[in-house]
Amino acid sequence: MNDRAMIQTILAPLDEPPRLWIVLVAVCALGTLLWITSVGYTLWMGIGAWGNNIPVAWAFDIVNFVWWIGIGHAGTFISAFLLLLNQPWRDAVARMAEAMTLFALAIAASFPLVHLGRPWFFYWLTPYPSTMGVWPNFKSALPWDVAAITTYFLVSLMFFYLGLVPDLATARDRLTGTTRRRIYGVFALGWNGGGRQWRRRRAALKMMAAIAAALVVSVHSIVSLDFSIAQLPGWHSTIFPPYFVVGAIYSGLAMVLALAVPVRAAYRLEAVITLLHLERLAKLLLTIGLLLVYCDAIELYTAASSHDPVERAMHMVHWPFGPFGWLYWTMLALTVLTPQLFWFRRFRCNVSILFGAAVAILMGMWLERFVIVVASLSRGGVPSKWHDYVPTWVDWGILFGSLSIFGLFFLLFLRFVPAAAMGELRRSRFEMLVETKP
Amino acid sequence: MSVRQEEMARRLGVDRECPEGADTVSRRGFVKLLGASIALAGLDGCTRMPASNILPYADQPELTPGIPQYYATSMVLDGFATGLLVESHEGRPTKVEGNPDHPASLGAAGVYEQASVLQLYDPHRAGRVRHRLGTSSWKELAAVLAPSTLRARVGAGGAGLFLLLEPTSSPLDSELLDRLIGMYPAAGVHFYSPFARLNDSLLPQYDVSEADVIVAVDADFLATGPFHLRYARDFAARRRPEASRGMNRLYAIEPSVTVTGTAADHRIAVRPGEIVPALEVLLAAIRGTPGQRSGPGPDWVAPIARDLRAHGDRSLIVAGPYLPERARALAHQINLALGNIGRTIWFSRSPLLGAGDERHSLARLVDALRAGHVDTLICVGGNPSYATPGALGVASLIRRVPQTVYLGLYENETARDCQWMVPAAHFLESWSDARAYDGTLSIVQPLIEPLAGGKTSAELLSLLLGMPDAHPYDLLRQAWRGRGNFGDGSDFEDGWRKILGRGVVEGSSFPREQAGSAALTPDAQRQRSLPIEILFRPDARVRDGAFANNGWLQELPDPVTTLTWGNAAHLSPATAQRFGAVTGDLLDIQSAGLTVRIPALVMPGHADDTVTVHFGYGRDGSEALARGVGVDVYPLWPDGAFTAGASVTRMPSASHRTLAITQPHHTLDASKPARAMTLDEYSRLGPRKPSRSLTLYEPQASLPDGPARQQWAMTIDLGACIGCGACMVACQAENNVPVVGHDDVVRGREMHWLRIDWYAARSGEPATIAQPMLCQQCEKAPCEYVCPVEATVHSSDGLNEMVYNRCVGTRFCSNNCPYKVRRFNWFDYSAGLSPIEGLVKNPDVTVRERGVMEKCTFCVQRIRQAEIAARLDGRRPVREGEIQTACQQTCPTRAIVFGSLTEKDGQVARDRRNPRAYAALEDLGTEPRVLYLARVRNSASEGDRRK
Repeated sequence: MNDRAMIQTILAPLDEPPRLWIVLVAVCALGTLLWITSVGYTLWMGIGAWGNNIPVAWAFDIVNFVWWIGIGHAGTFISAFLLLLNQPWRDAVARMAEAMTLFALAIAASFPLVHLGRPWFFYWLTPYPSTMGVWPNFKSALPWDVAAITTYFLVSLMFFYLGLVPDLATARDRLTGTTRRRIYGVFALGWNGGGRQWRRRRAALKMMAAIAAALVVSVHSIVSLDFSIAQLPGWHSTIFPPYFVVGAIYSGLAMVLALAVPVRAAYRLEAVITLLHLERLAKLLLTIGLLLVYCDAIELYTAASSHDPVERAMHMVHWPFGPFGWLYWTMLALTVLTPQLFWFRRFRCNVSILFGAAVAILMGMWLERFVIVVASLSRGGVPSKWHDYVPTWVDWGILFGSLSIFGLFFLLFLRFVPAAAMGELRRSRFEMLVETKP
Repeated sequence: MSVRQEEMARRLGVDRECPEGADTVSRRGFVKLLGASIALAGLDGCTRMPASNILPYADQPELTPGIPQYYATSMVLDGFATGLLVESHEGRPTKVEGNPDHPASLGAAGVYEQASVLQLYDPHRAGRVRHRLGTSSWKELAAVLAPSTLRARVGAGGAGLFLLLEPTSSPLDSELLDRLIGMYPAAGVHFYSPFARLNDSLLPQYDVSEADVIVAVDADFLATGPFHLRYARDFAARRRPEASRGMNRLYAIEPSVTVTGTAADHRIAVRPGEIVPALEVLLAAIRGTPGQRSGPGPDWVAPIARDLRAHGDRSLIVAGPYLPERARALAHQINLALGNIGRTIWFSRSPLLGAGDERHSLARLVDALRAGHVDTLICVGGNPSYATPGALGVASLIRRVPQTVYLGLYENETARDCQWMVPAAHFLESWSDARAYDGTLSIVQPLIEPLAGGKTSAELLSLLLGMPDAHPYDLLRQAWRGRGNFGDGSDFEDGWRKILGRGVVEGSSFPREQAGSAALTPDAQRQRSLPIEILFRPDARVRDGAFANNGWLQELPDPVTTLTWGNAAHLSPATAQRFGAVTGDLLDIQSAGLTVRIPALVMPGHADDTVTVHFGYGRDGSEALARGVGVDVYPLWPDGAFTAGASVTRMPSASHRTLAITQPHHTLDASKPARAMTLDEYSRLGPRKPSRSLTLYEPQASLPDGPARQQWAMTIDLGACIGCGACMVACQAENNVPVVGHDDVVRGREMHWLRIDWYAARSGEPATIAQPMLCQQCEKAPCEYVCPVEATVHSSDGLNEMVYNRCVGTRFCSNNCPYKVRRFNWFDYSAGLSPIEGLVKNPDVTVRERGVMEKCTFCVQRIRQAEIAARLDGRRPVREGEIQTACQQTCPTRAIVFGSLTEKDGQVARDRRNPRAYAALEDLGTEPRVLYLARVRNSASEGDRRK
């Protein structure tokens, strides 16, 4: 495929989306309504609309939050890390991954907001000049969270936009329709494709990538501190920061796969997102999956060799054999066994298996957060206050609603933004051409 | 002088301080009145001080708005009074405490007393005089019941007139009844309540503190019954191993698990039918004669007999009120044989009217009803249509009576069956008098004008006497003046004022009576062994159903089972297994020809082949809160016995009901928050080492303001605590703790700041260690550092403070609290309260809004109040004992001690040095300001070894 054909393929959905698009938008819009209803009901009634209780004061709210934040890691990981490591294959999926990151982050951020008892005072978590003369408590991990997530979101947004500018210019130049071209023109910020612009953009991207790469590590480390600074057995663990980062990238990559496979088929992007790309993602997933197994093992080992019988009981009794034991074993099966498929090339190159495995890993990672948050809390304090947890319809509504919002955002992204980085792809091709020429 | 002060002064007969300005409303007073009339529009209850003279417990010169006053009064249960002091805020009673001068209280109050103030403001109380379906009036009733009218109906002698009263010991009632009998000599007067001790003309009085060995035979004397607060106090005083007189030892022989049973050193689960034979063997063993019964009896009898004989007349057998006559007689014989009569147990006349007189029984009334002799039936209190043995069919009998009048708090089942309904005055609205279990006379003094126009029993009786407009205050004074109660020749007014102030007539208890030889009733028939025995018991929370509409009590976890909002059939694990039932499975229980479907509750420690059910549920009157909660088991109750044969069937597996149990897990885990030890282990304990954890930092000698003068701390003696739950209700009342309802309890959202945790030493055993668990006020509080907005911070006097206004509700603090004592306002629990319900709130404590955390504050409002008072007095610091937390104040066993660590020789500091002292979850290094004293068991084998 030559450059022109590639650009044609990538820009085509902006002109005319596939039939399925409108159906999916409708489904996701319904789901979004469910989210609005559930969140609205929660805001009206109070957190009591959920299944949370004492001792399980955090449940779906924080499980979803951590899960979505984790998903929000893959985009920047692929863009920034792989950019710094000079992995040109990333270009095909980077755009999608970055968009996914932004959406996931926005959705993730909604959870801690909605889960507050008095959400209208959320800004008390930020250091603003208050007439009360009170600052947030910097000893608590939650204000760190606010800072980390806000920073990460802003950097990701800039990074995404910086990468998008040349493609917006291409859309401005290639698409028809005055209004549309004008809008793309505004967002293209006067990009004219000059060599100097390319060079400076490249430099800026690398710099931002360096910052973003650090953030990928820091954000989920800090999120993990929400748990590990607590004394609760099951939470109080020094392995958490790397453990959470690994888990985040793991679920994020799985989400990239889960999106790339259907989009590639529906938008006929097989030539752009090739099997080679998918296979590389699968390899990466296997690697990260093995890292996660290592972290799991270390966590268990630490608990087992601990002299604290309460902590040992949490890991050896309550998690595997407690009220959520079946979820624990399901989680292990999904997160540990699934990636082992990718030792085999024929599985790595089978799109259906890739998709299925990605979804399984996503579910497994959600369950992993559930076990950490809910299973620990439900057996955390004195035995007299052990209490199980049952979600309500509102909990489910918010979970599925958030998935729908994500879908809706992503569908709109596919409709209005070039789904693959045309500029980067062209540059890479050119560079490859130069390199391979004798 | 404000308008209200002036009003008070006028009522109290105090001369005006400033007569020249008295008739003009001051600016301040006007603004206050304006504010009050806006705020209180529609809730005039706020300012309803009773018009008659009531006198504060401690004389205070005048009423200062914002400073509560305490008035002495009494609460009557089954005819026996418990003296109380009631806190009143500007004429609005908000909190009940025990009256230290009253023998039944000694300063403590139980769950019913504590919760009574909520009943006062119950919006479901009846509020109008009703005749059939229409609104009527007191006047119309007076016309119907006027002597001239009534005589025409019931005959000159009053042969068709019957009264059914709640048991009463009131001299005022007695006098009015005498006059009524004088007027209608043939009228029937009957007394009834399900658990009243109306058969006994002599009542046993115990001196628990004198007993070294106590054997409780199916007797929950520590937590139920008229003198239980006192017994619990005396019992607990000798549960501390360091006490000079040594520990007592308690054996409990009982079928179901009671509070007394869990407090016992040895608890023996027996079937009800085994009690009499066992007591016979025990009596024979004590007398040293070969048993009249052949066979050695159960193997637990011999050691008890040995122990009892070793302690001679310093022992005590307490026979439960629900035992058959013969069992109680046997217990008396054992006491007699041991020489306890006159030492640890003696008898006095029953203060109840008509006690021991069969003519005043319910059975006689039922006979008359059946025979159709009743023309006019007047039910004064109680709830006979509901709370009577199902077999008697009282409800339908009442409905057949031509003319029926009911005086009651609620439009309940009896009200529905009666043509006339007269709202009763709550005791906090009433003038009356009553006697305690030992005969001590006390006053019932109102704190507030009847909110719903309620009438007292005295008013209804005087209406029958043709004096419908007599004010109960005048009736009472008249009666007391006539009786010459202040026999020392002093002026009546002086004596009266003194009585009103103190609430108790000193030295008015009944003298000891010579106990009859109490010949053993012949063992009429050898009790057939029943396949399943069913036991009927009052509920620990709603009693016979009278408190069923009380949210605090409905949500109070039952001692031991921690069941809330409903009742269940308790059975042992083995019996449950036989029926294939687990907790919550529905059982069909058949007894007395009727079947009731009730969920099972598996209860380790319960006697096998025995089912215990509790009265008071399954109400269907107009009490909205109580309606449909639990199951009514009165239909199963045969007449005259608290034990019966029953058959039990397990319902098909699909039928299951979720029980609102607040604590499903009773087994201690490795963290061992509650500790118990044997006396041997205790004697080996070394002195307590201070548990300060090591730190790399310099000690914080200088806080910004310097350390406070006081450092508050609490110790809780698990040896003394019996887990009765009075502290929970006291805390709820003091701190405006909301009620969340059945569904939210099931979800684990009950709001109690203080709860009783029940632990079993091993799984499968009954939970026997009760541990009051409240905010531990950690010096290194895990909740504080995780709060993102600094809504929970430490005060310089050592309190872990909760700033509601600052809380955004992340709930991180609760997650990080190892004791799980923080409570979250999941919903706006205090929204939608009717104005009348709002009156119960303590104005010193914030009512929390939705979405904020809350928890025990060590009653910071009381601390600050005492500090302010101390400052105004010009004396600093606050003295030991000046501040009592609500839980401490009401605790019958004095298990809770509160004070400042700066008082080196104060009780708290001394307790903290006790070798038994430990911090819950000490290993976490949270440095709690609450320390527990481990429970010590004085088991028999060890005691022998030590000798």
